[in-house]
Amino acid sequence: MMVAPPPIIAVDWIAPVAGAVIAASTIPPLLALYFLRLRRSRRVVAATMHWRRAAEDVRANAPFQRLRLSLLLLLQLLALGLVALAIAQPQVDLGLAGAEKIALLIDRSGSMGAMDGAEATTRLDDAKRQAIDRIRALHGGGLFAGPAPSIMVIAFASEAIVLCPFTDSSAQAIAAIESIEATDELSAIGGGVELARSFAAIGGEDGAASTSVPAVLEVYSDGRIGDLAGLSLRDGERVIFHRIGGEDSPNVGIGAVAVTRLPESPGEVRVFVRVVSWRTSPTKTDLELRVDGRLVAVTPSPVDLGAATQDADTGALLPGQTQAVFPGVQVPAGAVVEVRVTADDLLAADNAARVVAPRLGGLKIALVGRGSFVLRSVIQGMSPASFETFTPEAWNARVAKDPLAPDAFDVVVLEQVTVQSMARGRYLMFGSAPVGTSIVPFGTKEQVVPRSIRSEHPLMQYVNLDDLFVASMTAVAPGSDSDVVVEASEGPMILTLSRGPLTLVYVPFDPIDTEWPFQRSFVNFTANALAWLAAGGLPAADEPLRPGDVAAGRLPAGAQSPRAQFSSGTTAPLSLLEGGRFTLGPLRRAGTATIAWQGGSQTGLSTSIAYAVNMDCQAEGRLDTALELQLATNSVAAQPSRAASQSVWQWLLLAAALVLLLEWWVWLRRT
Amino acid sequence: MSDPRTVDELLDSRLMAHLDRLDVVSKKIFAGKIHGERRSRRRGQSVEFADFRNYAHGDDLRFVDWNIYARLDRLFLKMFLEEEDLSLVIAVDASASMDFGTPNKMQYARRLAMALGYIGLVNNNRVSLFSFSDDRIERLTGLRGRRRTREMGQWLLQLQPRGEADFTAACRAIALGGQGRGVLLLISDFLFSDGFEKGLRSVAGRGFDVYALQLLAPDEIDPARHGLLGDLRLVDSESAAEVEVTASSAVVQQYRDRLDAHVASLREYCVRRSIAHQVVETSLQLETLLVDYLRRRGLLA
Repeated sequence: MMVAPPPIIAVDWIAPVAGAVIAASTIPPLLALYFLRLRRSRRVVAATMHWRRAAEDVRANAPFQRLRLSLLLLLQLLALGLVALAIAQPQVDLGLAGAEKIALLIDRSGSMGAMDGAEATTRLDDAKRQAIDRIRALHGGGLFAGPAPSIMVIAFASEAIVLCPFTDSSAQAIAAIESIEATDELSAIGGGVELARSFAAIGGEDGAASTSVPAVLEVYSDGRIGDLAGLSLRDGERVIFHRIGGEDSPNVGIGAVAVTRLPESPGEVRVFVRVVSWRTSPTKTDLELRVDGRLVAVTPSPVDLGAATQDADTGALLPGQTQAVFPGVQVPAGAVVEVRVTADDLLAADNAARVVAPRLGGLKIALVGRGSFVLRSVIQGMSPASFETFTPEAWNARVAKDPLAPDAFDVVVLEQVTVQSMARGRYLMFGSAPVGTSIVPFGTKEQVVPRSIRSEHPLMQYVNLDDLFVASMTAVAPGSDSDVVVEASEGPMILTLSRGPLTLVYVPFDPIDTEWPFQRSFVNFTANALAWLAAGGLPAADEPLRPGDVAAGRLPAGAQSPRAQFSSGTTAPLSLLEGGRFTLGPLRRAGTATIAWQGGSQTGLSTSIAYAVNMDCQAEGRLDTALELQLATNSVAAQPSRAASQSVWQWLLLAAALVLLLEWWVWLRRT
Repeated sequence: MSDPRTVDELLDSRLMAHLDRLDVVSKKIFAGKIHGERRSRRRGQSVEFADFRNYAHGDDLRFVDWNIYARLDRLFLKMFLEEEDLSLVIAVDASASMDFGTPNKMQYARRLAMALGYIGLVNNNRVSLFSFSDDRIERLTGLRGRRRTREMGQWLLQLQPRGEADFTAACRAIALGGQGRGVLLLISDFLFSDGFEKGLRSVAGRGFDVYALQLLAPDEIDPARHGLLGDLRLVDSESAAEVEVTASSAVVQQYRDRLDAHVASLREYCVRRSIAHQVVETSLQLETLLVDYLRRRGLLA
C-alpha cells in the first residue's frame, strides 16, 4: 500500500494580490522618503566642520552610503512588510492554494455522537464548528480578498446527502452545515465522494462551466468509515482528513437483542442480549430490562466484559463480548422490549437496544386448492394461529358474499387453483396464473432452471435454488406492477405483484412436479413468503431496524388519522398510500417509532404498531479515532486540527504594532 | 560639575591651598619694567652675582670690577642676575562653541583661567585677562597681588559664550596690547572656521612664552559613546549652519579621524613655533591638570 506523504503545512493566501499591491505601493515610497527626507534628530554641536568633512569623506568612499543599514529604516520596513503580509491574509493550510472547489464531507454517523468534544459537545458538533471555521477562513478575506473557492457541503452516514451544491456563498454553506442533524447510522463515504465528483464535473449551482481540476475533498470524521477500503482516489484528487474526536474508546453497548416466546407460556418471552465493550480493559456493567419503558428486571450481578483485543490474523480490533439472558418475562404482543447498559460512556445511542415482542400466536393462513401433503405439512409446521382449507368453490362463494373476506387471513395460499376475485388480500400462489391481474400467461415452458436470482430480496433469505429443476412451468409476462425475483431464460420463476390492497407472490409452477419440496430451500421460501405477505409485502414489524432503514407496512382497512410517534417525543402525521400502505423514514436515530391510528376493520384489536431501531454497536461503537484514512491504494494522514485553516493575519498586525512601538522607542532615544 | 555662580565656587579653598605652592615659570628671561622678584637669565642689576665679561666700549664703568683690574691689569665687568616681574596673559575663548559638552568647556575654561590667574596674582605677577567672542574682545589688565583675586573671578564669571570668535583678531590684539613679555595662555577649543594659524602666528615670536591649552569635551572626542548616532541634523553652535549626517559607525570613525588630524595639525604648528600645546579633556580633574600635566610641561613650578 502506498502511503501518502505527511501533509505539509503551507500558506494559503486569501488576498495575495492586495498584499502585493500594498507592499509594492508603500515600501518603495518609504525607501524614497527615507533617502529624500530622513527624519533626522536635531543636535547642537560645538562645530560642524569635522562632521561635514567626515560625512563627505564617507560619502565619497561609499556612494551608496544611504543604503547602509539603519535600524529605524529596518524597523519601518519590517512593520510595513508585516502589514502587507497581514493584508494578504495568509493562512496555515494544507497546500490548498489555488483550490477552486472544496467539498466538505461531514460524517454524521453514529460514532460521531460520542460526547468527547471540547466543551462536552458531540463529535458532530465539533466537526460542524471546524467546518464553519474553515468556510469563514476561506471566505474571510473581506475587502481585499480574491476569489474564494466554491464550497460544497455533503453529510454522509449510511447514505450521503448534498446539503449545498458548489456555491460561492459562505452563508449558504454555513447554513447547510448548521442544518446537519445527527444520525445513528453506519458510516459510508463512497456515495459522498461520488456526489462530490459528479457535482464538480457538472459545475456549480449557477451552471458555470466545470473545470478539469477535481474538487478537494475535506473529510470531517473520526475516521471509522466502513467503505474506505473500496475507495480509491482519481488522478489529481486530494483528500484532507480532519480528525474529529479523541483517541480513547471507553464505550460499552448492546450488540444485539432478541426475544422468543416461551412455548410453554406464550405470554412470556425470553430475552437474549449480547453486550459489547470497546474498552481496552475489562469492565462490568448492569443490564436493565424495560417493557414499554417500564423497568421490569435488572441483572442480579454486574455482567463481566473482557477488554477489546487485537485479532492475531487480521490485526483488527475485536470488542470484548458477553451474553446475558433474561428468562421468563411477561410481555404482551407488540410491546417494546428494551435492554440497557448502565455503564457511563461517551456514546449513549448504543447503550440500549430494543425489540418488538412478537405476536402471541402465529399467522392466520387459508389454503385454497387440493391441499397437498407437502404444502400442508410445511404450513402446519410453522405453528400458525389458524389454518383453514377451502375448495376453490367454497372460497369463491365466501369472497362473493364478503369481498373483505381475504383480509380475515394473513395469507391465502392458492395451490394450482384460480379464484374468481383477487381484488384484495395477500396471496401465495403456485401453478395456475392469476386472473384479473397484469400477469399474462402465454404458454408452457419445460425443463426450466433459474438463471437470475435476487438473493437480497426478503423472499430469498436462506433460499438456495442451485438444484432447482422445473420440468414444466407456466410462461407468464409480468406487468408493470410486478417484480421478478427469480428469472429463467424462459421467463419469471418467482415474482411478486403489488397493486393496491392486493399483494401476491406467484410461483408459476407446481412444486409437486419438482424436487424442490425435498430441499430445505422450499421450506425457507415458504416461511419467507408467508412472513413477507403477512407484513403486507414489507419487513415484519417485530424485526429490529437499523438506523437508516425505512419502516413500511400496511394499516388495516378503514384506519384513520395515522400518525407516527418517535421515542424522542416528536410526532408527525403519516400519509397512507394506496391500500393502506405506508412508509416511514428513513429512521435516522436509534429508538422506537410507533404508528398509531383510529378505527379500521380490526376494531377492538391493536391500533398501533411499533418499530425498534437499534444502532450497530459492532460497527459504530468503536470510538478511538483513526490516525489516517486507509483507502484502497493509499492512506491519508489526519490533518492536525491546530493547523487547519489557521488565520495568522491578526498576529501579523500585532507584530507590526509591536515593531512600530519599538521603532518609536528607538526614535525617542535618539532624539 | 555645576555652573559656578560665585568666585568661591570658581576656586575653592582646597584648590587654592594647592595653588599657593605653585608659581608660573617662563622658559625665557625677560626684562621687566621694574625690579621684581623673578630671577631671570638676563644679566642686569641685582644683588646676586652672575659672571664676568670683558669690558667693552660704552659699558657702564660702575660695574667694572676694580679689584680684578688691580690684580690682572685688565678691565672686567661684573654681571648680576636681574630680578624682574612676569606678565601673565590669559586669553579665554568665549565663543559659542565653548558652551558645549559635559563637563561644559566654558565652565572648565573659567575655572582653569581662575586657577592660573590666581597663581600669577599670589606670585605678584602682572596678570592680564582677555576674552574673545562674537567679534568682541574684552580684557582685564594690570592685576597684581592676591587682593585682585575676587575682581578677576567676577570678571570671569560675567563671561558669556556667544557668537563666532575671531581668533586671529584676538591674538593680534593681545600681541599689540602692550602687556609686556611673559607667559601667554590661550584657553580655547581651537575650533575656528577660519583656522588657528594666523592667530598663533601673530603671538609667536612676540616675546611670549605661549601655551595653547585646547579644551575638548568627552562628547566631542567620542560622540558615539555619548549617543550621537543615527540620522542627525547637526547644528553649528556658532554659525547655526546645519549639516545632515547619518552617524553610522563609519562616519563617526571618520569624524574622530578628522578631529585627531585637527589636533595633530595644531600640535605640529605649535611645535614649529615653540608654542606649548596641551589637549585638555574637560573630564580631567582641574587639580590633576595643574599639579601634574602643566608642571610636567614646565608652565608651573
